[in-house]
Amino acid sequence: MSTESIEASDVVTSASATSDVSVETTPHTDQRTGGPAMGQRILDIRNFSVDYGWGESAVRAVNSVDLHLDRSKVLGIAGESGSGKSTLVYGFTRLLRAPGVISGGEALFNRGPSEDGTDDIIDLVTASEKELRSVRWSNISVVLQSALSALNPVVRIGKQFEQVLKTHRHEMSRADRHARQVELLALVGLNEDRLRRYPHELSGGQRQRVMIALALALDPQLVIMDEPTTALDVVTQREIISKLYELRSRFGFAMIFITHDLSLLVELADEIVVMYGGEMVERASAQALYDTPRHPYTLGLLNSFPPMHGVRTELTGIPGSPPDLTALPTGCNFHPRCPYAMDRCLQESPTLVELGDDGRSVACWLHSGDPGVVVPVELSRTGMGTREPAPLPVKEALS
Amino acid sequence: MTDVTQRSDVIAGTVQLQARHLTRHFTTRIPGRGFNAKHIVRAVDDVSLDLVAGEVVAVVGESGSGKSVLARMLARIIRPTSGDLILHGSEIPRKAKRSLSYASEVQLVLQDPFASMNPVHKMRHNLVRPLMIHGAKRENVEALAEAALTRVSLEPPSRFLDRYPHELSGGQLQRVSIARALCIEPRVLLADEPISMLDVSVRLGVLNLLRGLCDDDHLAILYITHDIASARYIADEVVVMYAGQVVEHSRGTVLVDEPTHPYTQLLIASVPDPADPTSVGAPTAEQAQMVIAEKGCRFSPRCPFVMDRCRVEEPPQFVVGENHTSRCWLHADKPQFEVEVALPQRRGEGEITKT
Repeated sequence: MSTESIEASDVVTSASATSDVSVETTPHTDQRTGGPAMGQRILDIRNFSVDYGWGESAVRAVNSVDLHLDRSKVLGIAGESGSGKSTLVYGFTRLLRAPGVISGGEALFNRGPSEDGTDDIIDLVTASEKELRSVRWSNISVVLQSALSALNPVVRIGKQFEQVLKTHRHEMSRADRHARQVELLALVGLNEDRLRRYPHELSGGQRQRVMIALALALDPQLVIMDEPTTALDVVTQREIISKLYELRSRFGFAMIFITHDLSLLVELADEIVVMYGGEMVERASAQALYDTPRHPYTLGLLNSFPPMHGVRTELTGIPGSPPDLTALPTGCNFHPRCPYAMDRCLQESPTLVELGDDGRSVACWLHSGDPGVVVPVELSRTGMGTREPAPLPVKEALS
Repeated sequence: MTDVTQRSDVIAGTVQLQARHLTRHFTTRIPGRGFNAKHIVRAVDDVSLDLVAGEVVAVVGESGSGKSVLARMLARIIRPTSGDLILHGSEIPRKAKRSLSYASEVQLVLQDPFASMNPVHKMRHNLVRPLMIHGAKRENVEALAEAALTRVSLEPPSRFLDRYPHELSGGQLQRVSIARALCIEPRVLLADEPISMLDVSVRLGVLNLLRGLCDDDHLAILYITHDIASARYIADEVVVMYAGQVVEHSRGTVLVDEPTHPYTQLLIASVPDPADPTSVGAPTAEQAQMVIAEKGCRFSPRCPFVMDRCRVEEPPQFVVGENHTSRCWLHADKPQFEVEVALPQRRGEGEITKT
């Protein structure tokens, strides 16, 4: 196997350069049908933590996160830079580079039923390089944010597909591989002549679509999208999102979509997790999160997008800056920026508790059920579809 | 050379900088067609706008629409192919070199605050240097730098002067780069996508800061963005650019609320709108890739309403309402008058010419 293959694998899934590419023993059977045991659940992350650095200088980037994802569902992870959203995903896929260290927890991935009918479950945290290698790309694939730096700039697009297929699908003939490449490009709406191009000859949107096609090359069950549209403008973003939506309904893969753009997630995701300072602060179904946010940070994020309709009012966003992980505040991470902060928030860190309604949970002392705490009306609304931007003082000079 | 002092004398509504028929063409080689095959890219074509004290003009367009080239021409970093710049009523000679006095009036803030600050110098250096270059007295420099930081709400300023760029967050750094542009008291601020690299929660803060500078200090601001929602939020005047041309232009934000050009409609439809769940998977344009027609309307290959006429003739700007123009043939038969006569198709433009 040439060194190019190693590079190509490294680029998209970072399929650990340490494992020898030529050592390829796991047979690739198509495991796309769902099974019992773990049931529809494809991913179950429990108590997962990631540190940067060791010993005393360690900075906790992801703190005890519990997550699960069902087959064919879209999970959105929203948060600002430094919230740990990317670290979480690179952590459980074992793509994290030093000084990133997984400091605890497990990440169970269900590859579907094996021959004897039981679920083929693998703990990604403890899996060996060889086991990981059989999972990566075939079962879990990743689309990275910057398509320009994720594609090898000196290798033609066709060759980059060729390398993936050659490495993971030995049984395919040359003609089969070419047919598959053309098919994959067609899936994302690109013409076959793009195979002869170099990455720099394509526009940003086209490169991102090539990345998506590459990620789908081996029919994965889970596709992870790390801010796939952040570097693109709105029109291209809309086009990519429509394409993803279409592909997902066609192939039924599950998706984890990381972005800082909450309004995009509300449209796309089934369930949304909001992260702040390395912790999960709220988890709810997309529509519930949008209509009835429970955490002040979620509300602040939702109010940070200027509306396209209605009267122009001055919005405030969220005061202050995102937290510095090396110097997290005491108590709740969000309290320095929180308009509803109480004494308790300064001292004790809230844990994620399930609220009564539809399995959603939130980490905020306002919802502790304490009789002395009055939940502000904007965080306790119940009706769906009733949300309006919180009215703030009208600034007349604007109009 | 103007002295660096507070200018509270600017009256809102005075025209500061005018662009008249600004045009910039780039010549590129066509790969694989020999050395002499040239292609002309019309990056900016005949754009005119006025930047007025106390007003924000937003320029909206996707990548490749020429909006950044326009900002750089206004800052005189890129020389226009044709067209004129008029600063405070006096025309800038086209051949003249970019002067310090021009830079002291018109300042540019760039998109990426991490890339636009020297990483090995503290904030003090980054702020003091423009002041020294623009002739501030050495003993005043520190106070002026602190005043500039206070103006962008980085308080206390002494806490920030001794920090390196990597010690600040993106939002804070973008505020410093606005402070750096403001410390020499320019009258025009050109902001090229100032919020697109920032975290969602701090974007509004920077937008509110720009709006405040405009309202309180009567700065003339050009705000360049691809996010039409933020343009709607901040602007007094909105210009939509496509392939180097102004396709729609309105006072206020009429064009966002009632878009008349198909491209503006496409831009608006592309904004994620959680209030409208049907927008997922909705058909966007006939062809979302930016394909520029060489003849006729530049948007015609993507336009869902394309007519035969669009493929042949380039539309002029039609008046579609009060202070509202749209460059689309759809508005040709409405009772109104043409503001401009369509430019005759110039020979050789957009075609392959052998020289």
